[in-house]
Amino acid sequence: MKVRPVLILLVIFGSGCSSMGVEPWERDILAKDEMQLTSDPVEAATDDHIYFSKEASSGGRGFGGGGCGCN
Amino acid sequence: MSDKDKRTIAATLAAATCSLLGSGLPDPVQAQEDPTWNFNTALLYYGEDDDRVQDLSLSILANRTYVDDRVLTLGVTLDGLTGASPNGALPQSFPQTFTQPSGKKTYTIDADRLPIDDTFKDTRLALTANWQQPLGRLYQFNIGASASREYDYTHFGINSKIARDFNRRNTTLLAGIAIARDSIEPVGGAPDGLTAMANVGDLSNRRNSDTKDIFDVVIGVSQVISRNLITQLNYSYSDASGYLNDPYKLVSVVDGVTGEVVPIPQLPGSEGPSHLYLYEHRPDSRAKHSLYTQAKYHMAGRVLDISYRYMTDDWEIDSHTVDLRYRWPLGGSSYIEPHLRLYSQTAAEFYSLSLVDGETLPEYVSADYRLGEFDAMTAGVKYGWQTGGGNDMSIRLEFYRQSGDVASDVLIGNQVNQDNYPDLNAIIVQVGYQFGR
Repeated sequence: MKVRPVLILLVIFGSGCSSMGVEPWERDILAKDEMQLTSDPVEAATDDHIYFSKEASSGGRGFGGGGCGCN
Repeated sequence: MSDKDKRTIAATLAAATCSLLGSGLPDPVQAQEDPTWNFNTALLYYGEDDDRVQDLSLSILANRTYVDDRVLTLGVTLDGLTGASPNGALPQSFPQTFTQPSGKKTYTIDADRLPIDDTFKDTRLALTANWQQPLGRLYQFNIGASASREYDYTHFGINSKIARDFNRRNTTLLAGIAIARDSIEPVGGAPDGLTAMANVGDLSNRRNSDTKDIFDVVIGVSQVISRNLITQLNYSYSDASGYLNDPYKLVSVVDGVTGEVVPIPQLPGSEGPSHLYLYEHRPDSRAKHSLYTQAKYHMAGRVLDISYRYMTDDWEIDSHTVDLRYRWPLGGSSYIEPHLRLYSQTAAEFYSLSLVDGETLPEYVSADYRLGEFDAMTAGVKYGWQTGGGNDMSIRLEFYRQSGDVASDVLIGNQVNQDNYPDLNAIIVQVGYQFGR
């Protein structure tokens, strides 16, 4: 089952996280627009749509979806 | 300051907070409601060379924040598509004639040219709506819907996500689910897989419409590592079932020795394909697994954004995608952002350039170039600046190139003389404007 290694990875990732991070008053940089994981949602959606139409892969960042009969 | 002093101050603050809460404030403090909508808009031009697909697209994403961090986001995208798309048939050293998807006319492709169907023209309208709200102090809940309509395709979907913060909000776990029902109503009807392209007026192998269902799950974690580094890891699963063929794609049936497509003699007065072409036939289900990881690193104002995605599916397609962006500020109110994306995929197990006349037909077959083995690269740059009114504008220019690969041992006879997988080159120009913030 391919899901199992992913769950193990998530647990390892999660257990190592409790010592990482910043205090609330240290979030000045992380709060900037350009530091958001998806800083430009329209550009991200446009790219997802282009590559969904031209390649056999989709999703990853979010839902793989579909929603077009793209040529 | 000693540790003991720190503990004393912390205890005093805690006691003061408790006494304030205990005394009961007259009104709970509420988050400020943002009175206006914020708009994120983009105009996109996507154009392929050799008169292939051209797309002009306008996207508007609007959001408004209500009391208690509840956010409503509405999106609309309008696409206008023109141009031509490869129909899957092989280029030949002689002209080839095909029946149009409508079944009403034919079109002819010159010798040594990749067969493309230039009758395709479409307008697509897509709408999205999303509601986000906190649940308690640590959870955030999202619910959304999507719909799109084009001439031959309709999509309806709903989705929901829940996220929980841990570890002083440095770790966020996320789980989401999406379901969709899409209807396909191809021009002239949906052909049955592996049936031959018929003459003009013969729609006996077409059905009016068909559907497909899509079920997506995503689970992920994002982690703040330090003041200037944030990371993300997502696993997603996507299951599609139903009619997964591309109704406009063909496979050439060729002679086993010459590799040339088998001719069909046309009777006087009849109009139809000059050669034997079968409609493609894909499995009626597909399960995809993706692993996606991203890191964003802030270095004295510059931001490095790097991501990698691995995808594998039960059609035996594996792909790797690396995406790199580097945002470089130019003074206080503008920036330049180079972008490089590298992509590579293996072919679907049923991908085949052609079928050999007289051999047993496979259960599934497709010659769609998007299911073949290829590499792709996107390279470009974005320039963004703040306008006098404090709004954000950006323009990006990118080039996309797909280079396919056909192993020489699968080529039959004269097929070696043709470019069976011509490169795809496209240009992407996007102007973005954000206002209302």
